[in-house]
Amino acid sequence: MKIKKKIIIAALSCAVLGTIAYFAYVFPFYEFEQNDYDTSLDKILSLDYLKTLAPLFIIIGLSAIGIVTTLCLRKQMLKKDKTYSRFAGREKSGNAPMQKPVPFMVIRWIMMIGFGFMMIWGGLIFGLKMSSVSIPILSCPWNTEQMTESSCYYLSHLNELFELPIKSILLFFGSTLLFIVLLGRTICGFLCPMGLIQDIMDKIRQKTKNEGISANEKLYSTLTPIKWAMLLIFIGLCFVGGNFCNFCPAVAVSPILAGMSTSLYVSGFLMIFVLIGSFFKRRLFCNICPLGYIIGLFHKISLFRIKKDCTACTECGACYEACPMGIKQIYTERGKTNVTDANCIMCGECVKCCPEDNALSLTCAGLKLYTSSRKDIISRYTPKKK
Amino acid sequence: MITITREQERKARQDKRFINKQTQTAAKYLRRIDELSGAPDGMKPFLDTLNRIYVEMQGLNATQKTIGTYCVMAPQELIYAAGAVPVKLCSGNYTAFFVGEDIAPRDACPLVKAVAGFKNTGLMPVYEDCSLMIVPVTCDCKKKIAGMLSEQCEVMTMHIPTSKGDDEIDEFVSQLYDMAARLEDITGNQVTYDSLAEAFRITGRAQYELSEFIRLKKGNPYLIRGTHAMTIMNAAAYMHAEDWAAALHEVNRSLKERAGNGQRVTNKKLPRILLTGSPIVFPNMKIPLLIEEMGGIVAGDETCMGERGLYDPPVITDDSFDGMMRALANRSLRPCPCPTFADNSQRIYRLKQLIKDNDIQGVIYHVLRGCLVYDFEYKRIEEELGQLGIPVIRLESDYNEEDVEQLRIRIEAFIELIKLKQEPEKHKTGRRYL
Repeated sequence: MKIKKKIIIAALSCAVLGTIAYFAYVFPFYEFEQNDYDTSLDKILSLDYLKTLAPLFIIIGLSAIGIVTTLCLRKQMLKKDKTYSRFAGREKSGNAPMQKPVPFMVIRWIMMIGFGFMMIWGGLIFGLKMSSVSIPILSCPWNTEQMTESSCYYLSHLNELFELPIKSILLFFGSTLLFIVLLGRTICGFLCPMGLIQDIMDKIRQKTKNEGISANEKLYSTLTPIKWAMLLIFIGLCFVGGNFCNFCPAVAVSPILAGMSTSLYVSGFLMIFVLIGSFFKRRLFCNICPLGYIIGLFHKISLFRIKKDCTACTECGACYEACPMGIKQIYTERGKTNVTDANCIMCGECVKCCPEDNALSLTCAGLKLYTSSRKDIISRYTPKKK
Repeated sequence: MITITREQERKARQDKRFINKQTQTAAKYLRRIDELSGAPDGMKPFLDTLNRIYVEMQGLNATQKTIGTYCVMAPQELIYAAGAVPVKLCSGNYTAFFVGEDIAPRDACPLVKAVAGFKNTGLMPVYEDCSLMIVPVTCDCKKKIAGMLSEQCEVMTMHIPTSKGDDEIDEFVSQLYDMAARLEDITGNQVTYDSLAEAFRITGRAQYELSEFIRLKKGNPYLIRGTHAMTIMNAAAYMHAEDWAAALHEVNRSLKERAGNGQRVTNKKLPRILLTGSPIVFPNMKIPLLIEEMGGIVAGDETCMGERGLYDPPVITDDSFDGMMRALANRSLRPCPCPTFADNSQRIYRLKQLIKDNDIQGVIYHVLRGCLVYDFEYKRIEEELGQLGIPVIRLESDYNEEDVEQLRIRIEAFIELIKLKQEPEKHKTGRRYL
């Protein structure tokens, strides 16, 4: 499909929403008091909780409006396109042949939802025993009640980090590095709440049968400089007196859900962008996530790998089409067995879509966790038993 | 007046001669296939189909419109979605080839000459019934035949890119949209999300049976003769995918039984040969027949009328109409090891995988005279397979029976060569056990 058109439409609608979000930012929801960051289970279970959730509803509402307007605009634009217009707007009541659920994917979804829940409400329910452990994850540390610490805060506030006692610094680096080495970007695919939100948006699109933005090298090459800019802001902003948290879209979610009164900052506007973006392009934010990039730098020493049997591969490109991160060498590679890329988030989509037996597999320390099989792919066409 | 009637009489005589000769050759090859030992149960529907098309000279007995395609790159799913039946029109007919020789230039490939011949005589119902012919331009001959055919029937050409980048896929997707629009105009049905999904199920079912078939063949050597497998694949061209899948299901069942009983086509250790190169279309089955009559077995087949045509399933990664179209475009271009693409090194990997899977001992590279793109790739493949120690032989042939004796000698020598290679190893292992 015409990608340029789609990007222009998306950018335009985001700009419009941005201005609306600005007013939302100015609009005060509450009187700021010292103890607003205190939450408890009672607060969540009371009616006050709905009041704190108000900014979240505004974000969701604006995103929904944005998505619907984008869809309408696209429909209008496609009317002029002779090739596509006659196929647009036809009813789609049936279902495309879908693959049977794979255990790996079920586990991944359970992990994502479970961990997302724990990161938001876990601290309130089970206490803060693990709060000194840092996981490199985009779950907002402004939510002071979360189960574990997120490394993102001190990584984006390096000046504050070195003012801490040495024990805390060591604990921070130790636990962060341990998680990076043990899990690598599996954190992104399995644990990160931001990833969960984006995957949910993608699921909604798939269920409503709206077409998304397909894999295209140009799109990914425009995202790469944005990623580097984000990284620069992420690490460097603290030294010039800024605060990355003002721009981080994750701020707009978990603290609010945990019952903390927050207003919509710039991050609220960015969250709208992330929601709309991930509706049309799966895991769009992961492509520009600075924290994910830092974890990705260590992909050579992390335990999780994507392995490929190069002779079994038919270069059908299904893995590339399915990959939310646009990793092309996974199907062009013809020599190496290890095709793990710095961008790979170990979501397993490529393995799920691979129609060749044993061509792709996801391994942890050499142990095969999930292997591609033709049977899985073709299972959707199993003849009906009489 | 007299000259006109004379002309008509001459034409009628010519037509009669054509029909006679055509049915005779087709019947002869069907008989040879039938006489070959070790045919699995359930082969009958496939032979019957070929018999009906070529010997009885009937059309597809379908109530829907038929759409002719000339290459596997025109996705069948779209044709089924538009409520029509696809039929592969690439021809292997000797009689039509002789007619076509007067129409097409000398150096054109026999496949194209045969197509031109059929269309010129106007006697073959499969060709005459087609409401539309889709010609993906995979080589120069196909391009010119598209122009020739358009004088007599509706033709749609498809541009096949020379590489498989993202932009080429996008471009091919828009061509598929054009194809769907054209099909809608012809059949009067709409290609909707639901009908496309249904079409995916129809062909998917056929692919399911085919992958079962391949899996059975892979796990148990000497389970079925390659000629029979190729006949099954050739019959797919003239059968509705549902019927074909049902018939193949029966074959799979009998093969499973065979595998369970430990039955084989033969008890001897016949040299296992892989057939690759230009398409082998019924009734031009002389090469696989010769191989198996000379004491080899066609254990693998990498030709586009064969298993390669249906092998790759479309993988839907985006659950929308556009997503399905992209899945089709992706399936049609990316995994296709057709020499029409500038860089086709993936074919070597495919061959290596087939050699590994099917325990191949020798490769026969079939080149139709004038098929330049396949001929170009022979050198590279010979070198690559030479490094693996797999002997390769290039067989150039035409659509006539004059070269049969020469082919027989070469194939026999090749099979003897492989037998010589495998015998010393036998002695070694024998001694070790003594």
